[in-house]
Amino acid sequence: MKTLKVLSALLCYPQADILAALGEMTDALDHERLLPRQEHRTLRAFMNRLAQANLMTLQERYVATFDQGRALSLHLFEHVHGQSRDRGQAMVDLLETYRRHGFDLDARELPDYIPLFLEYLAQRPVDEALELLADAMPVIALIGARLAERNSDYCVVFDALATLSGQPADIKDIRHQAATEGPDQTVVNMDQIWEEEAVTFLASQHACATGSRGTSEAHPIRWATRPDAI
Amino acid sequence: MSHFLDRLNFLKKVTDTFADGHGIVTNEDRGWEDAYRARWQHDKIVRSTHGVNCTGSCSWKIYVKNGLVTWETQQTDYPRTRDELPNHEPRGCPRGASYSWYLYSANRVKYPMIRARLLKLWLAALAEHPDPVDAWASIVENPAKAIEYKSKRGLGGFVRANWDEVNQLIAAANVYTAKQYGPDRIYGFSPIPAMSMVSYAAGSRYLSLIGGACGSFYDWYCDLPPASPMVWGEQTDVPESADWYNSTFLMLWGSNVPQTRTPDAHFMTEVRYKGTKTVVVCPDYSEASKFADLWLHPKQGTDAAVAMAMGHVILREFYLDGQSDYFTDYVRTKTDFPCLVLLDRRADGSYVNGRFLRASDLSDSAGQANNPDWKTLAFDEKSGHLIVPNGSIGFRWGEKDGMVGKWNLEPKEALSNAETQLRLSVNDIRDEVVAVAFPYFGSTRHPHFACTSHSEIQLRNVPARKIKRADGSEVLVATVYDLTLAQYGLDRGLGGGNVAKTYDDDAPYTPAWQEKITGVPRAQIVTVARQFAENADKTHGKSMVIIGAAMNHWYHMDMNYRGVINLLMMCGCIGQSGGGWSHYVGQEKLRPQTGWTALAFALDWHRPPRHMNSTSFWYIHSSQWRHEKLAMSEILSPLADPQQWQGTQIDYNVRSVRMGWLPSAPQLDRNPLTIAKAAAAAGQEPASYVVENLKSGQLGFAFEDPDNPVNFPRNLFVWRSNLLGSSGKGHEYFLKYLLGTTHGVQGKDLGEEGGEKPLEVQWRDAAHGKLDLLVTLDFRMSTTCLYSDIVLPTATWYEKNDLNTSDMHPFIHPLTAAVDPAWEARTDWDIFKGIAKAFSETCPGHLGVEKDIVTVPTLHDTPTELAQPLAVKDWKKGECELIPGKTAPSLVVVERDYPNTYRKFTALGPLMDQLGNGGKGIGWNTEAEVAALARLNYTVAEVGVSQGRPRIETDIDAAEVILMLAPETNGHVAVKSWAALSKITGRDHTHLAIPKEHEKIRFRDIVAQPRKIISSPTWSGLEDEKVSYNAGYTNVHELIPWRTLTGRQQFYQDHPWMLGFGEAMCAYRPPVDMKTVEPIIGRKPNGNREIVLNFITPHQKWGIHSTYTDNLLMLTLSRGGPIIWLSEVDAKKAGIEDNDWIEAYNLNGAIAARAVVSQRVPEGMSMMYHAQEKIVNTPGSEITGTRGGIHNSVTRIVLKPTHMIGGYAQLSYGFNYYGTVGSNRDEFIIVRKMVKIDWLDDETPAEIATGEAH
Repeated sequence: MKTLKVLSALLCYPQADILAALGEMTDALDHERLLPRQEHRTLRAFMNRLAQANLMTLQERYVATFDQGRALSLHLFEHVHGQSRDRGQAMVDLLETYRRHGFDLDARELPDYIPLFLEYLAQRPVDEALELLADAMPVIALIGARLAERNSDYCVVFDALATLSGQPADIKDIRHQAATEGPDQTVVNMDQIWEEEAVTFLASQHACATGSRGTSEAHPIRWATRPDAI
Repeated sequence: MSHFLDRLNFLKKVTDTFADGHGIVTNEDRGWEDAYRARWQHDKIVRSTHGVNCTGSCSWKIYVKNGLVTWETQQTDYPRTRDELPNHEPRGCPRGASYSWYLYSANRVKYPMIRARLLKLWLAALAEHPDPVDAWASIVENPAKAIEYKSKRGLGGFVRANWDEVNQLIAAANVYTAKQYGPDRIYGFSPIPAMSMVSYAAGSRYLSLIGGACGSFYDWYCDLPPASPMVWGEQTDVPESADWYNSTFLMLWGSNVPQTRTPDAHFMTEVRYKGTKTVVVCPDYSEASKFADLWLHPKQGTDAAVAMAMGHVILREFYLDGQSDYFTDYVRTKTDFPCLVLLDRRADGSYVNGRFLRASDLSDSAGQANNPDWKTLAFDEKSGHLIVPNGSIGFRWGEKDGMVGKWNLEPKEALSNAETQLRLSVNDIRDEVVAVAFPYFGSTRHPHFACTSHSEIQLRNVPARKIKRADGSEVLVATVYDLTLAQYGLDRGLGGGNVAKTYDDDAPYTPAWQEKITGVPRAQIVTVARQFAENADKTHGKSMVIIGAAMNHWYHMDMNYRGVINLLMMCGCIGQSGGGWSHYVGQEKLRPQTGWTALAFALDWHRPPRHMNSTSFWYIHSSQWRHEKLAMSEILSPLADPQQWQGTQIDYNVRSVRMGWLPSAPQLDRNPLTIAKAAAAAGQEPASYVVENLKSGQLGFAFEDPDNPVNFPRNLFVWRSNLLGSSGKGHEYFLKYLLGTTHGVQGKDLGEEGGEKPLEVQWRDAAHGKLDLLVTLDFRMSTTCLYSDIVLPTATWYEKNDLNTSDMHPFIHPLTAAVDPAWEARTDWDIFKGIAKAFSETCPGHLGVEKDIVTVPTLHDTPTELAQPLAVKDWKKGECELIPGKTAPSLVVVERDYPNTYRKFTALGPLMDQLGNGGKGIGWNTEAEVAALARLNYTVAEVGVSQGRPRIETDIDAAEVILMLAPETNGHVAVKSWAALSKITGRDHTHLAIPKEHEKIRFRDIVAQPRKIISSPTWSGLEDEKVSYNAGYTNVHELIPWRTLTGRQQFYQDHPWMLGFGEAMCAYRPPVDMKTVEPIIGRKPNGNREIVLNFITPHQKWGIHSTYTDNLLMLTLSRGGPIIWLSEVDAKKAGIEDNDWIEAYNLNGAIAARAVVSQRVPEGMSMMYHAQEKIVNTPGSEITGTRGGIHNSVTRIVLKPTHMIGGYAQLSYGFNYYGTVGSNRDEFIIVRKMVKIDWLDDETPAEIATGEAH
């Protein structure tokens, strides 16, 4: 699924080689035709804007959008586990999934980085990829909704992902949350978000124990555990 | 067409074979591993710690799996220390534990970052100028270009960069600055090396090699109690926390032990079960107050009044009316109580206490040929003679033959070796009783503090004895003890007024007197003082005061501290197990100090390094002096002649620098690299050239003209610190003047207002944006990072190898790399190594082998501490000759081989073998250790300056250098250092280390288990199986003198500036009036009532010590953003309810925060915890229109002249030892409820907006 690989590249930090490959990416999108017409057009338009923009301006925008703060972090588990100790084991499990299917990490990056995750999915059979993508959709949709709230160009990439796997069932709630949460919902609405999570050390250990059996399970990656957190 | 989409960016395919087919990848079932996984959940456990500036220093287990940290637990393998003591472990606190996931947090700095505007300018300049140094010059020397990037500091706009690119830019900036303006225009700030000493050393080694200045931190943080150097000649030395358990009467005075010393608090709670009484003195109902048997809550800032009244009680009951043999013997032999002080006659016939009588005052200098100006005297009861006892500082330096070895506290007369018993008071042998005038400050009016109506000059009768001086004239003398009794206002039957017979008399400093000022009932004062002393008398000193920096952050902190220290000295508690002065702030105790200084300041290649006291540096370079409102006449003694004490704070600082007391950075108003060349051209030695030009006025000190562009600090490195988000007192002034960006300063400067302008300083139009380059190394996007030009991602505490020690426990343990630094992060060691390499490569064509003139102040623990003994003389005013090292700074030429900076950085230089190593006034040969390091680290093979030298390539190599050279971690060195000290004291101290002579602690040893360090003369306590570490223990039990003028603990300070500012003896001084509220209150109304509160900034409950709070767990447990505590009474007055948004402001700036309304806080006071940064949940301020500031937005630096004294025994400069301190608690703020909460989020994030600081 080269389309996923294209979306992975578009979510990477803008670099000259990515911009140089925009033509190749367009061809791949046109060839696969996996996106509905509307999303396809929007994405092409986005890529055209990238092609015409000043590279450093793009980089500055990327840093301002994704590199600062939690709300738009491109690391999946930042939104799922935050700064809890479950995060380490979750990453270990994800890494294990990659390995089981023949891939080792070859970059100085964490396994839950969305472009990396998409690159992996792009290497998998379509059905499996879309199923895994659907698992991660609650997080991806939330980031997309927040980008939309901030009028960020990048939301088109997330819209595209949503059309591939389908929006999560509670997308309305997610959009409502993004529209009403204020500057950084994790801070403002902290009490509600963390109500149950606060000091569940025993539960966390239990979670780790479950994770360790993951090697034999079909889906070792544990996505959202706190519905109101995302 | 390329195959971009076929290429994997992040992943690689697992191959079937490897090593040319010799290896094969199999995929057989590995289910057998599951049992193992389920059991342990990790591949390895690594020992590390949280390297914050907290004293905890707790060893943790880090669990790692597949190269990722999965969880952590406390280590429980600290060695046992002594019988009957509770264990040290498990150490750690919930705050430290919450750190783990910062490792992978979204807030982490992942790549080198640079502000896009600067990068654009840089790339354009490079295209035009192939030489990067020329390119840098073309940007910073062009005002339009410079403003373009400087004015955007703090306003976001970062892009990622790669290491080579940023290293080249930094190197070019450093080379250009050194070449054009001088290497001393490059400054580095990093605090508390003990928390990660190799990381600190990385930056300071680089700076010291190129001639940059390293800034102090302990004094700047106001954690340095200047009282400690004044009284003991010791920076700070304290009992380990386990010694609390040996105490039988424990006072917690302004220290919130359960909250800020969490891992050690158990020693305090446990000892209560042994029956130890606990008294807490604290204005608010703190966590510590809950543990008190008795809680005294004086008005904040008036602790000295409490201490003085307690001293009054103790002197009455244990010295005058009653007696304690133990106390009498202790103060006679261990303090300056018996030392004689001259009484100078005043115009009105009364007297005033002057300086200590010196041997040089007597005929034939009392037989003392060496340093007679620096030897104090006393009367001996046994012989009846006036004698020179052993131990004063004159005996420390320059003695020859039979006089060597008299620097000790044996009760002997120095010439004859006769046994002595020094007379405490001259009352029994008095010639007359005279009225002595004492300054009294308690009547100073202050808008928010109570005063009394007593006269500001208090005449009190003192017994005096006549002495004939060398010139035949007669003078009167009294002992320090006599003067102390009078100062504390005790009626001892000598007649006269202003003294008290009973505790209920209304005279300074009775328990009744203090009631008005502090609000503490007099009976409580009497009870606590009596029990404190009674316990000390019975146990020989087991009364202890745990004291917090809270009391040290007031302008007159010395009075608070000396008041308490006096109690401890009167009761013989200092240097006794279970007793003493326990001041814990910052992790100031770098145990293997002398091993570390060699590495950190590159003493192996060049000596001396450039050191700078940061408080003065920031005060001057952030132009806070331009807004000074506190006149020095306000704090002058009523006994001083104002005509002779003219000038502002900066004037005193300039004089101090000129006379060789405090250091300066930059040093001279010319590039020091050009001075040697000019001298050579003039056919002169550089030093004499400088002297001549200083005298003629051709050359000056940079501080005399700080707003001249040639004197700007051009480049600044900040690492391991959040300077602008946490410690930067006068935050908004930093932004306005040093950085040249958006700020919230509300006041006008002296030029606009016409206030008192400095006498010694050139007044110019204000300069903005003095810094050309601000580089910050951090693992989190701190406030400082947001304001930096370049942000470099460092390794976290689980990603690097380093060493960690604390004053709280006697162990040394490591930080160890559990995993590789994530993303593009590097260790501090690797970062500065990389910069050093780029610097060396950039030098050709600009810098070669250069001669650098370094000015060095007169230094404590060196012979130059004996500079100006009897009077202060300023060469500039023609009062004396300019003699470097005596009346002015020493002038030393250092040859710097700039292109070889990298080679020097990565190898141990030859000066260690040639000059040896040492510290605190003693030195020893270190050839054997260098040879051992060569075997351990291997030597450099490459041809060049470092060939054959021991290598320091990695952080572990660097750690081994420290461990090998330090007496605390190498038994052979410990014995050598004690032997070196034995020569000076004439007493054999080597027995303290001989049992551990063959112990050598290596890095791998402490990775295996924390190790207890070895006793060394660097410290005044013992690491022993019998006693817990207690400061002053070797002074009391080994009779090693304190490093003071008298060699004893000093109640009395006789320097002319101490006398001038009325602090010869401890007194109560009310907080100073900062005058930042009156001009602005009511001027910018928002309709809500405004109230005025004192502004106190204690340490966090919900934060990682003073370092940061933007961690979800901490924010969750607190209020999720900045908060200010206030009392229910004040909240009601201002119509504020709990959790309302409030604004706190004054002339310095404004803060927006939520209110915490609590019974904890007394009326009139507010509290804002440290380090709540504006990066988290901070709305805009209605006052400034920009984002609400940090706690230091409403504070400003004020300097105190007594902290600038130098060249005078214990009052001499030392890095982080003495100097101006950054006090901040005298500040008041206006508080009101906010009307409009503006999140300033209108800017669309799509257009580069998030993450900005304003």
